[in-house]
Amino acid sequence: MKIRGKVWAWFLIILGVLYFFLPLLATFMFSLRARLGVLSFQSYINVFNDPKFVKSFSFSILWATLTIMVGILLFVPTAFWVRLKVPKARAAIEFITLIPFVVPVIVYTFGLVRTYSHPPLLIVNSPILIVAAYTILSMPYLYRAVDIGLRSIDVRTLTEAAQSLGAGWGTVLFKIIIPNIRVSILNGAFLSFAIVVGELVLAQYLVKPAFAPYMATLMQNRAYEPAALAVISFALTWACMGIISIIGRGSGQAQVGGGH
Amino acid sequence: MTHLSLNNISKQFSTNTVVQDFNLNVQKGEFVSFLGPSGCGKTTTLRMIAGFEIPSTGTVILDDENITEKAPNQRNVGMVFQAYALFPNMTVAQNIGFGLRIRREKKEAINQRVAEMLSLIHLDQKGDSYPYQLSGGQQQRVALARALAIHPQVLLLDEPLSALDAKIRVSLRAEIRAIQKKLGITAIYVTHDQEEALSISDRIVVMYEGKIEQVGSPFQIYNFPTTAFVASFVGTLNTTAAEVVDPTTHLLQIDGVQLQAAEGLDDRQKGDKVTIAIRPERLNFVSQERKANILDCTVENITFLGSVVRIQVSIGSNRFYMDTFNNPFLELPKIGDQDQVTCSREAVLVLRQ
Repeated sequence: MKIRGKVWAWFLIILGVLYFFLPLLATFMFSLRARLGVLSFQSYINVFNDPKFVKSFSFSILWATLTIMVGILLFVPTAFWVRLKVPKARAAIEFITLIPFVVPVIVYTFGLVRTYSHPPLLIVNSPILIVAAYTILSMPYLYRAVDIGLRSIDVRTLTEAAQSLGAGWGTVLFKIIIPNIRVSILNGAFLSFAIVVGELVLAQYLVKPAFAPYMATLMQNRAYEPAALAVISFALTWACMGIISIIGRGSGQAQVGGGH
Repeated sequence: MTHLSLNNISKQFSTNTVVQDFNLNVQKGEFVSFLGPSGCGKTTTLRMIAGFEIPSTGTVILDDENITEKAPNQRNVGMVFQAYALFPNMTVAQNIGFGLRIRREKKEAINQRVAEMLSLIHLDQKGDSYPYQLSGGQQQRVALARALAIHPQVLLLDEPLSALDAKIRVSLRAEIRAIQKKLGITAIYVTHDQEEALSISDRIVVMYEGKIEQVGSPFQIYNFPTTAFVASFVGTLNTTAAEVVDPTTHLLQIDGVQLQAAEGLDDRQKGDKVTIAIRPERLNFVSQERKANILDCTVENITFLGSVVRIQVSIGSNRFYMDTFNNPFLELPKIGDQDQVTCSREAVLVLRQ
């Protein structure tokens, strides 16, 4: 009975791995066939030599970085304050953070375009609206990651301990709370990064040079380069996850112990 | 000289009054414990001294300064928490030096003070360790050192030993008391553990339902409780209803059995109902020592508690506990034995209603 269970478990694991890796492997193999008859990295060279790629990718990284910065500045103090001072509001706040999951991005985008494309708020093409829109889109990931981090530490007691030693709110937040939820913030930040870089609909309507629209356009005209871009995107995501796990292994996140 | 003064303090959370009419003067260098069951308001009172709660009415005066509405980080008060509350991202030395860094003291001065504190808590070699590398007892000692490092005017301890095992609790409470005496610092200690309060304090404030029941030295609180709550909360106590027979001679009656108290009936009339209390260790069998009050009893149960043997006897319809030292060379009574117990008049406490 036990052996049977183990066989099933392994079968399901292998099935899952194949389901995930086979398309990726196929994409990778396809991306190497840009030159007739030989396997080469020609499609990757083409992508990196394309000035549109550099431009769109740099813009996406810029938007992602700004989004993460605004998101951290907005959500970390909010989550901290809610947990410390208004714990009863947590359910309502959690519901609000889930709204971007419920409202389709296309509806959200049209709403933004309609609201901000005529006076008095004609900001449809301004970086402020782009960053604000991306911040809302990344809210479920960033806010919840921060909230999970705060759940792992005794926010109230640590805050009060710091205050009793003379610390003000800024010191409490930047010297005590943020260092102890660093890994959770990074988790949320990298997820936000992946969302912003890979987001197509909002980028199509609000942001002119962005990575996802560039990739979509490329797919209509080229064969091998989009496959190379897909592999690059995966590599980038994995690099982010690798960084998270390396930092997580360090002493960044709060460790609880010492009950003996 | 009064160092810390709490005047007419009360605290309400919406319609719930948690602390009311709290008045207390604490002398410099005094060790005062707030003792009471959960929800009696002792921690709320401590938090009002720390500044984490603002009193609904009343004032907190520290060194002649009204600090009632001062923010916690503006008061020079050290606090030790039940959950240690060490900063996990900092080493032991960084934790201890945190308050001094906030005060922008010089690096050399901070290092010197941290070394002093590490030596005080006997953890000289642990400066570079992180909190999670220490045991619970060591973490709490670091928390104590961190609170003391800033030279606080008063040290507040909120059930600091509750999370530790029994043996460490006993050794650490002695260490806390020794450090407090050595530094001569005023300390307020919150606990629900009567043994802890009795062993460590200069004075105990017994609280119940937000009010002070009794303030006194451990000796006074244990031996002369003035209310039924203090009597029942601190130590084991036999309490029973009695009727006043003669207030001038302090004569009482329980179930037709007469016994005499030493005091406490001056404002009573003949026939008044009162509650009396007798500590188990104040009762003896008549054969051991003859006293004023001699009461017929039946032995109902005998329990060994290590150094003490607790004997349950019935006197009329009342059951009393009687404690005697466990001496293996003395013969104990048997269950069902008819005997007589006695106690001094001073042992019969007439409680305030």
